[in-house]
Amino acid sequence: MIMEKKNSAGYKPIEAMTVAASQLLHDGEVVFVGTGLPMLAAILAKNTHAPDLVMVTEAGIYDPNPEHLPMSVSDARWFKGSPWSGGPVELMNFFLQKGRIDVGFLGGAQVDKYGNGNSTVIGDYLHPERRLPGSGGACDIAIQSKRTILIMMHEIRRFVEKVDYITSPGWKCPGYPQQDNLMDRTELGLAGGPDAVVSDMGVMKFDPRSREMYVKFYFSGLGITPEKIQEHTGFAIDISRAEPLPPPEKVLFDILRSKVDPEGLFLGR
Amino acid sequence: MNKVASLPEAIAEVQDGDALVFGGWTIMRTPMGAAYEIIRQGKKGLYLSASATGTISDLLIGAGAIAIAETSWHGHELYGPAYNFRRAVEQGRVNGSTFIHCEETTNSVFLRNYAAAMGLPFFPVFTHKGSDLLNPNYDTLREQRSVNPKLPAHKYQVIKDPFWEGEEVVLLPAARPDVCIIHVHQAGEKGTVLIEGPEYGDFCFAAAAKTTIVTAERIVSEDVLRKHPERNAVPGLFVDAVVELPYGAHPGGCFGVYDTDPSFYEEYVNASKAEESFNLWLEKWVYSVETHEGYLQRLGQEQLNNIQADPEYGYNPALNRRK
Repeated sequence: MIMEKKNSAGYKPIEAMTVAASQLLHDGEVVFVGTGLPMLAAILAKNTHAPDLVMVTEAGIYDPNPEHLPMSVSDARWFKGSPWSGGPVELMNFFLQKGRIDVGFLGGAQVDKYGNGNSTVIGDYLHPERRLPGSGGACDIAIQSKRTILIMMHEIRRFVEKVDYITSPGWKCPGYPQQDNLMDRTELGLAGGPDAVVSDMGVMKFDPRSREMYVKFYFSGLGITPEKIQEHTGFAIDISRAEPLPPPEKVLFDILRSKVDPEGLFLGR
Repeated sequence: MNKVASLPEAIAEVQDGDALVFGGWTIMRTPMGAAYEIIRQGKKGLYLSASATGTISDLLIGAGAIAIAETSWHGHELYGPAYNFRRAVEQGRVNGSTFIHCEETTNSVFLRNYAAAMGLPFFPVFTHKGSDLLNPNYDTLREQRSVNPKLPAHKYQVIKDPFWEGEEVVLLPAARPDVCIIHVHQAGEKGTVLIEGPEYGDFCFAAAAKTTIVTAERIVSEDVLRKHPERNAVPGLFVDAVVELPYGAHPGGCFGVYDTDPSFYEEYVNASKAEESFNLWLEKWVYSVETHEGYLQRLGQEQLNNIQADPEYGYNPALNRRK
């Protein structure tokens, strides 16, 4: 459980990143929600600026607005009040593979400068230092959503030059089995691509030409600077375009704490 | 034909080395009671091809029952990491048995079983492209493929779509599950299955396997289930054995009946951090209780009362999930 003290800003980094991520979801979009902070951010968006946001999960959940925070993509808490429910084959194919998902919203353990995500292993896949939970639907969702948002804590071991394993393809990825060099995802015929990486320090976007990550916003209200983001990033990241993100309205934090996660399951207390 | 069986009778159909698949989803409605019995009966060398397997796969891996797993996700959601799985992959063996894992994704597991359900040899997909799922060096089962008849000859193949624009398509081999086990709300004596709440793909898995074992919170008359055929999830034709097993998904939840059990998870996750402590846990909660009834007695009515679902919600809105 992440336990952080609130700072002088009156909100915690994990709250700032959840609110910033929710702001990236637009009303009326269909968002494929991964487990963890994506669930909180999507539920927050649904209960603030995006009442017509349609959340779906790989376990078969469609268009819920849960009264209590689910612990997983399969939680019974998603079900009450949903207009329909399906199975994983329908959600992963009739929805996702068919191209009906606007936003894939994922967590992960590592991301590289091209937005490749890793939730499988730390170290060599064949001789792992630390085995992680695995893809789940992350690989499928990153390949077939119209755009992808990744959310993870900003640490030098997480924002790396090259991920140890590509679970979720980003903008430049290998074209196995023939090609193990990185190539542009459009050459592989993949849809979408990473739109943003949201961390507890700011919001990163990708340059449309170089396909590399750059800092778009930093959380100045938390004392974050572009230089601090560079210090916590394991590759040279472009900070020349970085802007301070105006502190979010206080009411968003109130809703996040009182309505979305009042038990402090993900946000701590 | 009356398919009602006891839990030991039904699980006796599982043979060492069988390919298994389970219904449910991580901490929801997985057939945990059946998995405990698989361990009690000492099944070995099992081959698991399943999706978001969560607690049930961590349990069976930790007990040394699984030799090969092609699975997509392991964990107990917010209750903690799958330590047994982690240790087994990192060390290549667990409780004296070798263990090989080969990474899958949610959709690849389901479509491989969907192909099996339809009697097809493979299924075309666009997923996995651009990821290390297709890295030929990461086919951890490569050496086994020529010697183990349960395994397909290749992890995948790529072809150009011969009908439309010629795009590259990934072909995934059908799974060939010997036994599917699902835990459901109600089952009739002939095998008709009723599931409340999310279905999690149980129908697909039940259709894919040669033998399907159903554990149910309640066995009811087929006549009752015939009143609303549209509510039933699996036809009895696909089902070989039906076992009445109340709380058969514990410590996972069962929509509308009971929620997940936070205090049980706390004990499990702590114990699973090391093989020695997990073996003590297995002795306490699997071996020494001897039967499912013994397991429920050890849990006690008070603990079961804490997890009762509110019928209005389908879960327990007052559950203290921070345990």
